[in-house]
Amino acid sequence: MKLPPVDYEAPRTASEAVDLLAEHQDEASVLAGGQSLIPLLALRLAQPALLIDINGVRELSGVSVTDGWVAIGAMTREYVAEESGTIADAVPLLAAALPLIGHEAIRSRGTVGGSLAHADPAAELPAVARALDAEFVVRGPSGERVVPAAEWFEGYLTTSRQPDELLTEVRFPAAGPGTGVSFQEVARRHGDFAMVGLATSVTLSDGAISDARLAFAGVSDVPARATGAEELLAGRRPSAELFDQAARRAASDIDPPSDLHGSADYRKKVAAALVRRGLREAVDNAQERQ
Amino acid sequence: MTAIAAERYTGASIKRSEDPRILTGAGRYVDDIKLPGMLHAAFVRSPMAHARVLSVDASAARDLPGVVAVYTGAELEAITVPGPDALMALMGWQGPTPEFTLLATDKVRFAGDPVAVVIAESRYLAEDGCELVAVEYEDLPPVVNAAFALDPASPPVFENLGDNIARTHSRNEFGDVAATFAGADRVFDTHIDVHRHQNVPMEGRGCVASYDADSGAMTVYAATQSVHVSKIAVAMRLGMEHDKVRALAGDIGGSFGLKIGASREELAVAAASRQLGRPVKWVEDRGENLTTSGQAREESFDVRAAVSNDGDLLGLDVQMVIDTGAYPGMGAMVPDIVQAMFPGPYKMAALGFESTGAITNKACYVAYRGPWASETFVRERVIDLIAKDLGIDPLEIRLRNAAPRTDPPAVMVTGRPLVGVTTQESLQRIAQLVDFPAFRRRQTEARERGVYLGIGVATFIEAAPGPREPGGPSGPMGLENMRLRLEEDGIVVLFTGQMPHGQSHQTTLAQIAADEFGVPFEQVRVVVGDSDVVPFGLTGGSRSATMTGGVALHGARQLKAKVIDVASHLMEASAQDLEITDGQVFVRGDPASGIGVGEVARRAASGEFGADVDANLEIVAQFDGGEGGWSGGTHCAIVEVDTETGIVKVERYVVAEDCGALINPAVVEGQIRGGVAQGIGAVLLERSAYDEDGNCQSATFMDYLLPTACDVPRIEIEHLETVPLDADVNFRGVGEGGMIVAPPTIVNAIEDALSPFGVRIREQHLPPARILELIAEADPAQ
Amino acid sequence: MTEVDITLTVNGATRTGSPEARKTLADFLRDDLSLTGTHLGCEHGVCGACTVIVDGRAVRSCLMLAVQAAGSEVTTIEGLGPDGEMGPLQQAMWDSHSFQCGFCTPGMVVQAAAFLSDHPDADEQQIREALSGNICRCTGYQSIIDGVLLAAERSREGSARETA
Repeated sequence: MKLPPVDYEAPRTASEAVDLLAEHQDEASVLAGGQSLIPLLALRLAQPALLIDINGVRELSGVSVTDGWVAIGAMTREYVAEESGTIADAVPLLAAALPLIGHEAIRSRGTVGGSLAHADPAAELPAVARALDAEFVVRGPSGERVVPAAEWFEGYLTTSRQPDELLTEVRFPAAGPGTGVSFQEVARRHGDFAMVGLATSVTLSDGAISDARLAFAGVSDVPARATGAEELLAGRRPSAELFDQAARRAASDIDPPSDLHGSADYRKKVAAALVRRGLREAVDNAQERQ
Repeated sequence: MTAIAAERYTGASIKRSEDPRILTGAGRYVDDIKLPGMLHAAFVRSPMAHARVLSVDASAARDLPGVVAVYTGAELEAITVPGPDALMALMGWQGPTPEFTLLATDKVRFAGDPVAVVIAESRYLAEDGCELVAVEYEDLPPVVNAAFALDPASPPVFENLGDNIARTHSRNEFGDVAATFAGADRVFDTHIDVHRHQNVPMEGRGCVASYDADSGAMTVYAATQSVHVSKIAVAMRLGMEHDKVRALAGDIGGSFGLKIGASREELAVAAASRQLGRPVKWVEDRGENLTTSGQAREESFDVRAAVSNDGDLLGLDVQMVIDTGAYPGMGAMVPDIVQAMFPGPYKMAALGFESTGAITNKACYVAYRGPWASETFVRERVIDLIAKDLGIDPLEIRLRNAAPRTDPPAVMVTGRPLVGVTTQESLQRIAQLVDFPAFRRRQTEARERGVYLGIGVATFIEAAPGPREPGGPSGPMGLENMRLRLEEDGIVVLFTGQMPHGQSHQTTLAQIAADEFGVPFEQVRVVVGDSDVVPFGLTGGSRSATMTGGVALHGARQLKAKVIDVASHLMEASAQDLEITDGQVFVRGDPASGIGVGEVARRAASGEFGADVDANLEIVAQFDGGEGGWSGGTHCAIVEVDTETGIVKVERYVVAEDCGALINPAVVEGQIRGGVAQGIGAVLLERSAYDEDGNCQSATFMDYLLPTACDVPRIEIEHLETVPLDADVNFRGVGEGGMIVAPPTIVNAIEDALSPFGVRIREQHLPPARILELIAEADPAQ
Repeated sequence: MTEVDITLTVNGATRTGSPEARKTLADFLRDDLSLTGTHLGCEHGVCGACTVIVDGRAVRSCLMLAVQAAGSEVTTIEGLGPDGEMGPLQQAMWDSHSFQCGFCTPGMVVQAAAFLSDHPDADEQQIREALSGNICRCTGYQSIIDGVLLAAERSREGSARETA
């Protein structure tokens, strides 16, 4: 299971990386943490002509807060994000999801940007990004643009990043007062990809739900917002019956795949269960944060 | 019982002599071997499950810099000798015999079937070369399940057979089946499936074959359960004289029945090495291991049970179909063992057993830890289903049906006597270790909260090696040989054909020999893994504790007698006044008289003795298993099933087992726990999956899931006192038992957890989605 | 195919090489540096047998390119104990009969060592989760967990004695 022949460049700046992408376009793959890309190469499912290794581009790492947004450099290692007090305080949903990514050794190398650029719909970070309407900053030869999460995830392992663009940063809105979160996941084993995962964020105001975000992992070719359930929850007071209603709505709105690990019907049932569990936990947390 | 000389190592958890190298990265596995001029092999494999091979064009591959050679199936036929599959030849198979070439020539028969081998300067380059070999296939309809294979309309996978029957249908009856069923109060009828899963050792198959053109000698560094089987297989396939082939093995990263060192790929690599006159290494990667090394357990059973209203299991009538995959392996032979073991430790009066083997376009059926294990699964499942229908407690029904220990012993209806079987004791011990009434109370209370707990038990026996057959040696490999020698430095060397791959033989055999001979543990060396130097042997079948432990004991005793005899001449004392303790020969009662055994060996080798003294301190000992005996036990599991997600957690797992006298308790317990972990894996996680076109869908560790440290609980193990049958050798095998009985234990517990829903389980693989399906399909009125 | 000259520190010694860019760190350690203690169990990052420590973090060496380790400090199983001998964790695992065939062992020991150095007071459940990315097929894990718990306990006793 050896990697196929490939050329290799290791730029030192983001500009150099963009220049290389502009030259090679989709003949090149960006190598960040490598935890998703290297297995694909080992299995010879991907055979790019060039690897652009951005691990030496120091300017792409770091966590900072500006105007209520937490900016995470694309090369920020998942374990660094996991240990970040800033993220724990300001983006608790991300903090809840990070420890569920694989195992510690994976998080030692894997990066926040790499996971979001790879865009596996069963992964945790895409669901979090979609739930929170994160923003994706990409840099190309003609400059920077910002892509909202709703437009970032286009299809299975496909984002709106153009072949000559580099993802440089992802921005998450800081959670406001009265917001509680939950990341629920049903996986075959501890550390595995989710068969179904759910990122939930609920904001309470005067005891009622002023904002609810639910985004699924593993039920579609992209992370899927449960907008029908969100609309149903808006303005309502939390209760077991309400959660149940939302669960049934969310499950009926999805059309999940069947695979070796679970049928479509199974995923729908689990999705409903996770909505109930996720809302219960998020509301409990929100009530604590009020 | 004759007292063993010192008895201070046997029975103790002596630290392993294997560990210092294992723990520091100094182990030597096949892939660690680097020889001068060594090349690397990779195989071109069929992407189709069933197809004719129209052409193979290796020219582009041969032109790739770094590729040294490419051999197609046809080219390998020209430089090798056709012959039967090594395992089938070893086991003396008599039934349908498929004809096939070493690598595929005219057709491919499963996805992954090797078509050509590329030899290059590195594995990287060899894989590059494989991508350049162009093979033209003509699709044939795939035979992907036994039902279609047994349909005469299915295309024969092997032309010479004309059909897809691996094992001709046969029926045997033991006891009076018709009368037993006619006289029964009730007859239960059910169908049970066991799914395809596989060995998956952490190290795959592999070898380094090194042909020396000058001497015409072949050395094969193998990952194998027997260096002699590897050697013979290579010699025969290459048409070489056996004494020109030497098989060596170092450390082996697990096997569980997989590695017989004679796979088609390994033989192809040996042929390539001879052709090139250079060493060639092949180590399979995980994809190859999962898709092509072989799989096991895909069997289905129609079972009728004759039962009394009180829960007596009077008889069984069983129809078994085994899916043997494409190429021959163990599959066609498994039904014979299943049949023999089907009655288990129960009193039943009659067994009808019929079986058929089906050839399909899937990886071949290989031996996997307890290849006959389905008999325990089916029997323990059926007993639970009967218990439920009759409203009898699962422990009670087993206690009722387990044969009590009588003298003479009860005899299985299939012929073997249940001598020394402690099934009753193990069931009773489980009842003591696990408070069933308290669990039932807890279970009821939990159900009210929507939490579903379940408890399951299962009992088994294993012929490890089994009781002595009247008039002959016991076990399928009847005699065990060992060469023992006292070296001039005082080391007692044991040369054994055992090939440990995790069993800790280098420690356990040394414990026995040290005790029997009278030297410190550190003064015994166990030599394995060199076909030039060790007697014939094979590690498998849970026989080494008895057979090899026994030959070590008796061999050490015989060698000691010789040493004492020589010492008696040196010390001018009578042999019966001498003893050996701590490596010294003493006159009993006179500690100052001691001389080291090394000194005795040096004097013996010096030629100072005349022809009347046998001063050759090397012997070849043989052991036929003595009285042999059964291993067995009862397992109990408590599980929690999340009925919203189907996730099953094993909360508690308890084992009451009897594997005879323990050589090394830590080693025994490790074997049991590893087997139970594989059983948990089989039920909750592992399935070798194929789609309807015969494509393997479990080709990586993302899809073939092995249990992790979060999936296997602490396993409580209680050792039962064994019934000693033999004056000296009461060690019995324990390697396979855990894997045999854990699956029904877990499934029984899951069914118990789901009984409020009316779930009845007739299969072994219960991933989360299946759990929810079972709940949805069930009838709570049951 | 690019080959890249690299210099790195492995088990305290400066090592150099010119691996192809596509060569994994695992293969570089095993083939170029003859450090065969690190094992290949799957080559797609799931089994953990290839675990080594790079710049203080346990990583899967089959998921790193050798060239990515240029300038880094790498510790393999061979360098875990003093002078290639057994360190306290390995000793505790020997005492606990932690292993059988030994193939998962190097990765398991390295991962456990990395985890213990960051979490010396971890309980059994935490240790199980930390090692859940290392697959063992032989032991059922209990003996491995016992070895790690024993090492942690001895380490605490050792510090207690030092501070006493």
